[in-house]
Amino acid sequence: MRKIVIFFLLILLELHSVAQIDQSILLIARNSGTKQLADSSNIRIFGFANSLSSQPNVPGPTLTMNEGDSIKIHLWNVSQGAPHTIHLHGLDVDQQNDGVPHLSFDVAHQDHGFYYFKAPHAGTYLYHCHVASTVHVQAGMYGLIIVKPPDGSNTTWSGGYSFDTELSLFMSEIDTTWHTDSVLLHPHDTSMTVHIVSIPDYNPQFFLVNGYSDQQIIENQIELNTDQNKISYLRLANIGYYGNRVIIPSQLNARIVSSDGRPLPQLEYSDTIYVYPGERYGVIVDPQSDFSDSIRIEYLNMNNLLVKGVEKVAVNVGVVGLPDFENKHITIQVFPNPFKDRLYIKMIINKSSKVQINIKDVNGKLVQQVAEKKYTPGEYKLSIENNALIKGTYFITVFTNKKELIIKKIIKQ
Amino acid sequence: MAVDSSQFPYYSFNESANFQAENKRIIIAPNDSLFLMIINTDSITHGFNIKNYVGVNRTILAGDTAYVSCSFSVSGMHIYYDSYNYPNNRYMGLSGMIVVENSTASKFFWNIKEHQKLWNKFISTGTAVTWQNYYPDYFTINGKSNPHINSDTTARVIGKLGDTIRIYIANTGQSVHSLHFHGYHSSIIYSSKHPIHVGRLKDTFSVYRMESLILELIPDQKGEYPVHDHNLVAVSGGHIYPNGMFLTILIQ
Repeated sequence: MRKIVIFFLLILLELHSVAQIDQSILLIARNSGTKQLADSSNIRIFGFANSLSSQPNVPGPTLTMNEGDSIKIHLWNVSQGAPHTIHLHGLDVDQQNDGVPHLSFDVAHQDHGFYYFKAPHAGTYLYHCHVASTVHVQAGMYGLIIVKPPDGSNTTWSGGYSFDTELSLFMSEIDTTWHTDSVLLHPHDTSMTVHIVSIPDYNPQFFLVNGYSDQQIIENQIELNTDQNKISYLRLANIGYYGNRVIIPSQLNARIVSSDGRPLPQLEYSDTIYVYPGERYGVIVDPQSDFSDSIRIEYLNMNNLLVKGVEKVAVNVGVVGLPDFENKHITIQVFPNPFKDRLYIKMIINKSSKVQINIKDVNGKLVQQVAEKKYTPGEYKLSIENNALIKGTYFITVFTNKKELIIKKIIKQ
Repeated sequence: MAVDSSQFPYYSFNESANFQAENKRIIIAPNDSLFLMIINTDSITHGFNIKNYVGVNRTILAGDTAYVSCSFSVSGMHIYYDSYNYPNNRYMGLSGMIVVENSTASKFFWNIKEHQKLWNKFISTGTAVTWQNYYPDYFTINGKSNPHINSDTTARVIGKLGDTIRIYIANTGQSVHSLHFHGYHSSIIYSSKHPIHVGRLKDTFSVYRMESLILELIPDQKGEYPVHDHNLVAVSGGHIYPNGMFLTILIQ
């Protein structure tokens, strides 16, 4: 008779908890992922995926939720080796759901863990594994959490700034010497929640924005595309072990409005924002004129503040959506103009075509060329280094379908 | 006090002849007159100065004594340090806190610092170091690292729901540190480097070298939550994790 009473109580509790969940998120922890770096080399990574059929990436999936939502994260560890956790960085969850193994719980291989919390104040947060965190974070076990206002609108927070577009820039670094089995596959005692781990010197060679560096940033179209008088919201976050100095073009009229998921008591006008490990900043930008430039992100060694890496994120105001050439086969857009040392060509191919791109001087002399290549239908972005060109006026021409088309006059500054 | 029991040469301002790795913490009220007598018991020249305070810079020869009078009209925190052979002597440990305030809040103190063991040996023997190559391997709060720092009752925050807790942080090392609080946001009530940051409610705080910062925490949930440097290299010591700048807050 006593057993029957307990059975009914459990059923009622389960129904109660299911009814309260607004969003359920599956994160699968794996330690056998591969990441291709900007030099085309591959490294081993740990990371999170949101389905069994997908491989982990760095960073993991961005989790988006609305303020006040009841969230359940189901962590399924499918990685032989050390356990994993989810630390909800900045969300101020209770101790049980905080993801610090010796103060809450960890999730062993083939085990499941569940984290419950109410999405806090609208803002930008992080999640990462907190097991041997120095190693597991560098290994790639991290991601971004975006909490929207309760209505899910494009507003920084309830009663805050409305915006038209948003762009997250999530910074980190990779030291390839850490991505070796001797470091990643650290010893762990299954009876312990604290794992004593050996840490090598940290000298990163790759500096990442949203998991990419150098030309990968362009190829993956990590860029701010907006128009004058439109408002954009930049979410800056740093999960690396270096600091970031983010320099925003002055024409964007940047204002820092929030940090760590809370509004600033007073906004700060600044085109230079320092984002140190674990910090997040919200920045409103609203350009008043068309231009092309880039956001410069410097990676600072915390011990001497020397710049060890630089990445650039393109900014195009009023130059996107206005093709320089368009016919039924191909749409081409060239930017920025004027340009300094790099030119981008965005192509939308509607029908498989051979395309060759030429840069000619005012006398018609060929000075630079992107070799002919067959492109299948799709969108492409080419980056052309122009360091060797002297300042002056040039013409971009495209040779396709046996015709050479003059696309645009461009000016090298 | 690192987990590997590593030892290296270290200097300190102490109140007595008995050496302690933690510098004397000076706590006064606004407008108090502070009179300091600094005795150099070392065999080399040292100095004394207070960050951002004009007129108190002193050079103190071996065996000599210097006298300093100062007063602070508003609440805040200041760093006193050895200004001679800068930054080497200060890096070797000669830097402490002057806390100016008279609030009734619970008070905790974190003098954060990092050390490159080899650098300490070099500097103590007069060998030149190149700071551009600095790569610290030990990270301490009040001269202690995890887990020993949790036994320092002046550092480990223990409180109750709704308490007003003030944490006084001075970075007397060379590196920038980025302290992340689990479980709570805290507000900045004083920053010697960025007064515009006062009033910001955050969970992660960058602290530059020679910056002093006062945070106010009013806990709204019970539990034990870590605070640690989120440059995660700094939660190691002697290349061993977990160690370094990592302690917990306990709210009962």
